[in-house]
Amino acid sequence: MNIEFGRNSLSSMVAVFGLAVILSGCATRPDTADAAAVAAYEEANDPIEPLNRYFFELNNFLDIILLRPSAEIYDGVLPTIAKDGVRNFLDNLRSPVILANDLLQGEWDRAGDTTARFGINTTAGVLGLGDPATGWGYARHGEDFGQTLAVYGVGEGPYFYAPVLGPAPPRDLAGFGVDLFFDPLTYIFWDKAYTIPVTRFVLNGIDLRARNLDTLDEIERTSIDYYAAIRSLYRQSRADEIQNGVTDIEALPDISNIDFTSHE
Amino acid sequence: MTLQLWRSPSPAVRNAIIGLVVLVSLAFIAMPASAARDESAEAFVNEVASEAIEILGQDGFTPQELEAAFRILFVGNMDVPRIGLFALGQYARTPTAEQKAEYLALVEEFIVKVYASRLSDYTDQQFAVLSSQPKGSRGKEVIVSSQIEFTTGRAPVPVEWWLLKTDEGYKVFDVKVLGIWMAQEQRSTFISVIRNNGGDFSSLLEHIKTQIAQANQDRDVKVTEADAAVATESTQ
Repeated sequence: MNIEFGRNSLSSMVAVFGLAVILSGCATRPDTADAAAVAAYEEANDPIEPLNRYFFELNNFLDIILLRPSAEIYDGVLPTIAKDGVRNFLDNLRSPVILANDLLQGEWDRAGDTTARFGINTTAGVLGLGDPATGWGYARHGEDFGQTLAVYGVGEGPYFYAPVLGPAPPRDLAGFGVDLFFDPLTYIFWDKAYTIPVTRFVLNGIDLRARNLDTLDEIERTSIDYYAAIRSLYRQSRADEIQNGVTDIEALPDISNIDFTSHE
Repeated sequence: MTLQLWRSPSPAVRNAIIGLVVLVSLAFIAMPASAARDESAEAFVNEVASEAIEILGQDGFTPQELEAAFRILFVGNMDVPRIGLFALGQYARTPTAEQKAEYLALVEEFIVKVYASRLSDYTDQQFAVLSSQPKGSRGKEVIVSSQIEFTTGRAPVPVEWWLLKTDEGYKVFDVKVLGIWMAQEQRSTFISVIRNNGGDFSSLLEHIKTQIAQANQDRDVKVTEADAAVATESTQ
């Protein structure tokens, strides 16, 4: 039933996204007379917010019963050196995807870094379990096709919070799909059992969750709206990644003369 | 008449004007390389950061003492009313006079608690200012780049400071840690709460009050746990 190139996960995500778009008619648009509400609605750029909040709660539930306990066990049982080994190994496996996107963005220096890292860490780092490259001046950076699209000028699009996957607005969801095709593992396991790619996906999720146990608790505890906080954090950290960590001062709002009657 | 006169300068005048414009813009392009860094802003950031590190390094502090120390540091060096206003977006026009006053008091308390809580995760660190650059054309805002460095070998955490020049010296408007501007985050949650409660400003006040009460409770639980631990230790 699946289209030949459509992996199960991808096509189901596309289906969910289609459903989300259809259901978006249910979301409440503010009264045009209420200028503040219209501005808030546009700033949030979250037309299917009720559905997104539903998926957010769903993921929080899955987190409580499944991901968090697994991450806590993983975090508690494995020594730091083993966890770092897992992280390094997974990062090294991702090198081809990072390299493809470095090249597509014309970031030749960073492409060189990625190549050097892969060479050093696969050999001197024993199949990527270690990360000597960072110490040799080739620090890790991430890239993905969502970022490449952003560099090409594609906007993020309305916010979408996907079940399991989490924040995935159209541009980044499309990027996630395209990155699968930059990943050698996709072809190596094309017509074989998906055990290894799925294991990698799950292990990656558990490791990331384990690394953010305290951070996410902290954010949940100190936010008056956890969903909106995560939406802001996702967008901000994506913007920061797209800028490769350099603050775009021109993009910052003007705050020098705001007051209780201002329009900004 | 005047319009006509303006529209047709002789080619020589036109070239002279173009030449002047090019020269002036070149001068502006060349300038930032030498004049971009703002040493007084960097010194201010250094001072605030070292005070924060000193507070975090106090071993004997109870959570209450820690909060009190951060309160003095934050309220004295941050432009809290401006952060509060920014966080409301266009809803800043909706509260009554009493609500405004209550909001500004609550937001100060909220910011002290959130920032103190998030900062207390950082221990065993050093701080380095890297650079600074002006923001905006009025010369009243400066962005200072810095990083927190760890003795444990953990990768440094980039921190950017958005400063405003006021009559009382520099004030921090926002801090960007690991790519996240804090005031921006607060803005999205505050606006979201008001909008999802049909534009009712008092719902935001209620949410902030609940959050502050919760933070106080967590802090006191921490204190009792610490006391209990000390008590068990001493009985053993």
